[in-house]
Amino acid sequence: MRESFRLTLRALVRGHVMTLLVAAVALVHVLFPSIVRADNTASGWREMYVRAVPGFVVAVVLVVTLACACGFFSRERETNRLALTVVRPASAFCVAVGRWLALCGVAAVALVLNAALTFARLPDAPDCRHHVAPILPPPATVARQMMEEYLKDPSTPEAVRKAPRRRVLELLTNREKDRYDAIVPNESLSWTFPADSSRSGLAVRVCFSSASSMSRSARGTLTFGGLTGAVSNNTQTLVEIPLERTAAAAPVTNSLVFANTGAVAMMLRPRRDIELLLPADSFLANLFRATLQSLAVLALLAAFGIFLSAALSRPVAIFTALVMLAVALMAPDTLDQFTEELEVPLGDRIGLAFSRGVACVTSAFMAPTPVSDLATGRCIEWAELARTLLEDLLVWPAVFLSLSALVVRRRPLS
Amino acid sequence: MSEPVIEIRGLRKTFRDFWLRPVAEAVCGIDLTVEKGDVFGLLGPNGSGKSTTIKLVLGLLAPTAGTVRLFGLPPRARAARARLGYLPELSYLHPFLTARETLLYYAGLSGMDGKAAKARAAELLEQVGLSTVANRAVGGFSKGMARRVALAAALVAKPELLILDEPTSGLDPIGTHDVKELIRRLAGMGVTVVMTSHLLGDTEDVCTKIAILSKGKVAAFGRTDELLTRKQDARFTIAGLGEDEARAFAAEASAKFGRDVAFDHPRVPLEKFFAETVGEGR
Repeated sequence: MRESFRLTLRALVRGHVMTLLVAAVALVHVLFPSIVRADNTASGWREMYVRAVPGFVVAVVLVVTLACACGFFSRERETNRLALTVVRPASAFCVAVGRWLALCGVAAVALVLNAALTFARLPDAPDCRHHVAPILPPPATVARQMMEEYLKDPSTPEAVRKAPRRRVLELLTNREKDRYDAIVPNESLSWTFPADSSRSGLAVRVCFSSASSMSRSARGTLTFGGLTGAVSNNTQTLVEIPLERTAAAAPVTNSLVFANTGAVAMMLRPRRDIELLLPADSFLANLFRATLQSLAVLALLAAFGIFLSAALSRPVAIFTALVMLAVALMAPDTLDQFTEELEVPLGDRIGLAFSRGVACVTSAFMAPTPVSDLATGRCIEWAELARTLLEDLLVWPAVFLSLSALVVRRRPLS
Repeated sequence: MSEPVIEIRGLRKTFRDFWLRPVAEAVCGIDLTVEKGDVFGLLGPNGSGKSTTIKLVLGLLAPTAGTVRLFGLPPRARAARARLGYLPELSYLHPFLTARETLLYYAGLSGMDGKAAKARAAELLEQVGLSTVANRAVGGFSKGMARRVALAAALVAKPELLILDEPTSGLDPIGTHDVKELIRRLAGMGVTVVMTSHLLGDTEDVCTKIAILSKGKVAAFGRTDELLTRKQDARFTIAGLGEDEARAFAAEASAKFGRDVAFDHPRVPLEKFFAETVGEGR
């Protein structure tokens, strides 16, 4: 493993991959800030900066890592060097792990530099916050109850009755995820959160909608025990409303109430559009966690690329990796937009099944969103980070590297 | 009979296309045995199945039928590979590594620890005459120098079986001579050597056994001396016999045995002459 690690590191350093990567990181940090445009607020500029600068660097490192990984075994096979490695008594798994570690090391250098330059640019960035969603029953549970009611209802269409139960359940689960709560004028609605109003520095992140797709004025009051916040924004806009203490003697509660004082009914999806923000730790700590999370995702992709390089030729491996990456990035949106697939044509259903398969397979890679979390100030929870590290840095790489070793050992070298 | 190092029985290899239709039968039922200490030459014209046989022996290809055993083990067994050294037809070195790093890399892959690997690398670099350029990247080496590094890499783990594919390819006559000397020395130390070469003179010089492949089959196999010696003829070399005396001797012998008698004057092989000439000049 050590020899393979050293060889790969030397290849990446002496082949100038590392130099170019470091230069690219520095260049992006020097050039990009001048072209970042935002909404003339400090927080808006900070969010755009994080998405555009460190976010772009992560994307560049990701593509370079994947391209390098896709070339390891395939290039050695093309140049017949792999035969010289394979005839030695070294374990193919150790050889693959050595390569993967070296590539992860180079990616880590680029990511650490990226983090350092980001912090140098944003030394006064505000602390991150826990984003807490309302307490709601799991969508699948709600969907199951809905399905039972549908089946009892004689007016339920025959197509729904004949459709596979699993598919109907999935459809209803998706509907529940996107369910809207409506708050008519002069009425209020509440949501329960797993946090109480005794804490200070709380805020609510909310996005209201109206029945029409046009932007309307949202007006009302958010009350959380003795804390209140005034809503005076447009719909379709994600806003952050700080909760100020107005009644010191109010009882502690975990119920957030929105009273609609506007002229039109407001709507929001409780599973997507409203979050309670609780103070967490510093921007630096979140940056550290985001860097680790990005590294874990890159490590997973590197292992996947190494597997592709063992199984396919270099151009085919790179093409496959990039196509899968693109499909993985698009699959969640595709599934979001086409949830009502019971009556769609067969071709679309096949496409949806494919997207669903890709989304399922790539969930480990797609779940963490470190750049977005850093940009919005969402605290990356330690438990979340631990899960990402376990899955993306240990379990999946171990699977892909074992498969690579198996293919390297078994695949004929002509 | 000594221990067989390589045992090949009924070996066949058929290459197939994407649809698994047979495209070419590269090896058609080969039986060979290479014993410990042999210097074995695998000869044949292009397309005769030499390289395929070598790859099957190394476990780089899977046979369609038949078996290959190295030291009594399958070729992919780690224990068999630990006793094997391989020099491919082209050197295939990592161009960004120095000569010393190349040897240390392959020593590491063979399981040698750092200290032993460093000592072995230094010894081999001295042996192949590259100690002065040990810290130069091999990407800048001439073909001959790269060949020496590759040969040293094949020897780094002190193999008991050395498989050399065209070992003298790209080497100058001095290098060729040195490699042949090295092969003889290794054979003297009990290392089994299997080599392929298009240079029949080189093979004849060093190989104790040869097999000639033709169209994937063994056309001839045996000890080099036995295959090449014509025992029904005799040839004498008499030191200090001039042209006239030789003619007279030939006429006398012809009259005595009632057969044609031919004579010639011995020639020094060009390689020896070249080595002597350049050696004096060096």
